[in-house]
Amino acid sequence: MQKQAKVINNKKPLGPRIRKYWQFYLLFIPVLAFVIIFHYLPMYGIVYGFTEYKVGMTPKFVGLDQFRKLFGIVASDASEATKMLAARKSQPFWLAFQNTIVFSVIKLLLNTGFAVIISIFLNEMISTKFKKVTQTIIYLPHFMSWVVTASVFTLLLAVGQSGLVNNLRRSVGLEAVNFLAEPGQWKIWYYIINVWRETGWQTIIFMATLTSIDPGLYEAAAMDGAGRWKKMQYVTFPALGNTIITVLILNLAKIMNLFESVFVLQNDAVRNATNVLQTLVYYEAFNSGAVPDLGYSVAIGLFRSIVGLVLMLICNYASKKVRGRGIM
Amino acid sequence: MAKQKKIEQYITPAGKVVSGPPHLNAPKSPYEPFHFVNGIIFILVCLIILVPIWKILVDSLDLTTGSGMRLFPAKFGFDGYVSIFSDKSLLQPLGISFLTTISGTFLGLLLSTIGAYVLIQWDMPGRTLLGNILMFTMIFSGGTIPTYIVLNNLHLVNTIWVVILMPAINVYNLVLMRNFFEGIPASLFESANLDGCTPWQTFYKIALPLSKAALASIGLMFAVAYWNDYTNYRLYASDRNLYNLQMKLRDMIASSDQPSAVGGATENTIKNAVIITAILPFMILYPFLQKYFVKGINIGAVKE
Repeated sequence: MQKQAKVINNKKPLGPRIRKYWQFYLLFIPVLAFVIIFHYLPMYGIVYGFTEYKVGMTPKFVGLDQFRKLFGIVASDASEATKMLAARKSQPFWLAFQNTIVFSVIKLLLNTGFAVIISIFLNEMISTKFKKVTQTIIYLPHFMSWVVTASVFTLLLAVGQSGLVNNLRRSVGLEAVNFLAEPGQWKIWYYIINVWRETGWQTIIFMATLTSIDPGLYEAAAMDGAGRWKKMQYVTFPALGNTIITVLILNLAKIMNLFESVFVLQNDAVRNATNVLQTLVYYEAFNSGAVPDLGYSVAIGLFRSIVGLVLMLICNYASKKVRGRGIM
Repeated sequence: MAKQKKIEQYITPAGKVVSGPPHLNAPKSPYEPFHFVNGIIFILVCLIILVPIWKILVDSLDLTTGSGMRLFPAKFGFDGYVSIFSDKSLLQPLGISFLTTISGTFLGLLLSTIGAYVLIQWDMPGRTLLGNILMFTMIFSGGTIPTYIVLNNLHLVNTIWVVILMPAINVYNLVLMRNFFEGIPASLFESANLDGCTPWQTFYKIALPLSKAALASIGLMFAVAYWNDYTNYRLYASDRNLYNLQMKLRDMIASSDQPSAVGGATENTIKNAVIITAILPFMILYPFLQKYFVKGINIGAVKE
C-alpha cells in the first residue's frame, strides 16, 4: 500500500511529462488527422438526418420528420397511425431491417456450426500432412473478394450451357432454374455461398483451442473406458464451449455492418426482397431514379449505427461476463 | 550421420514419449474404419471448395462457349488472358489495383505502426484518451452518406486518393500492432533512450526490426483488403476511369459490359480469365505465406 502510493507520488508533474513526450505527439498527428477526416467528420454529418437534403439544394431542417417517414408514422390522428403500423411490414425499411438481422444471424449460426464440426473431425486426423493440406485448401476462399466469390457462383448457377449446377439438373432430367433471380432460392444460395467462403477460415480459432486441450484429459477419459465418440462428446466439445460463445458474441456485435456480400449477389429481380439496411441506403441515395433525398438515407444510416452501437455495448457487457474481458 | 526428421514429441503423464497427440497415438491401429471415413469426408470437403475454382480455371483456358463440368479445357488456349492484356479497358483496372494495393499497404503499415508505437508509451499524458478516440470509431460510424458528403466537400470523391487514403487508417490493425509491440521488452526501448536515440530512431531501429512477423501478417491483411476493395470504390470512386479489377469484374458479370476479344476467346473465356486474374496474385503467394495470413487472426485472438 505504502509503496504504491510512493510510486504514484514519484510521477513527475504534468508539464515536464508533456514536454518529454512532445515528439510522440508530433508522430501521432498523421494518425489523428486520418481518423478525424475519415471517421469523426462523417459523424458530424449525421445532422443531415434531421434535414431534407436534395442534391444541389441547401439542406432544410425538418426535425424528426425523416424518422417518422422511416418508421411509417406520418399519420396525423391515431386511427391513421394504427393503419400505418399494420402496413409497415411491407415497407422497404422494415423489410431491410428484418433482412439484416435474419441474414446475419442465420449466416453466423451456420458458419459457426459447420466450423465447429469440421474442427472436431479435423482434430481427429492422424496424418499431419493431409491435415495441413486440408487446412490450406479450406482457408483459401476467404482470400477471394466478395466480387470474385459472387462472380464464381453467378457463372456456376447460370441458366445457360456453362452453368454447372443447371447442367447437372438437366442431366438428371430436371428443369433449369435461375437460382439467383428468385428470392427464396437466392436466400438459400446466399447462405451456401457464405458457408463455402467463411467456414474454413472460422475453423482457425477452434483448431487453436483444440490443440491446447490437455492430452491428460483424453487419457483419463480412456482409462474410464471412453471410446472415440465419448471422448469427443465429453472432452473435445466442452472445451470448445467458451470459444463458441466468444465467436458468437464477437460476430453478433458486427451484424449491422452487412453490405458487400449481399450487394454483389443482388440483381434487379430480387433486390426489393433481399435488401438489407446498408444496400437500401445505397439504392435510396445513388440509384433511386428521382432526385434523392439524402436526408432520408442519412436517417436510415443513423438508425443502423445506433442499433449497431447498442449491440456492441450489449456484446461487450456479455463478453466481460463470459470471459472476463471486453471486446474493445 | 543421416539427418533425422524432427518429430513432434509429447510426454504422457505416465512418462512415455510418443510422437503426435497421445489420444491419437495410443494403442489403436491408424487403419481403423473411422480414419478411413474421416479421410473421405475431408476429401469431399476439399472438393467442394476446389471444384468451383477449378471450373473457372478450366473455362478461362477454354475457347468454346462453355459447358458443364470438364476436367480439362476442350479447346485449349491462352486467348482469354491475351485479351486482358491487349484491352485498355481491362489493363487499366489491373494497373489501378496494383497501384492502390502497393501504395495503400505501405501507407497503412506506416500509420498502424506509428500509432501503435505512440500508444505503448505508458507514461505519456493523454495516452488513454488518444486510444479511446481511435477505439470509438470501431463502435460508431456516421454511415456511408455522411461520409460521402464530407468527402465530396473535401473534393476527394471520384479521385484515386479516396481509395488509397481511406482504408489506410484501420483501427483494428493498429490495435493488433500495439498488442505486438507490447510484447517487446520495455528495457530495450529504455536502453535505446539512454543511448541517446530519439523516439523516431527507437521506432525504426528497435521496434520495427523486432516485429517483422507482425509486419508481414498485418501488411498482408492490408494488401488483401486493398486488392479486394469494392465497397469504397462503389460508394466514393465509381468513376469508370478509376475502376479497379473488382469493379470491372462486377460490371462484366452484372451487365453486358464486354471487352473486345482477341483470337478465339469467347465472352465466357474472358469473364473466367478476369476472375482468375483477380485471384492469381494471392493464390500464388498464399501457400508460401499461409503462416503469416493465419498469424494475423491469432494475434487478435490471443490478445484483443
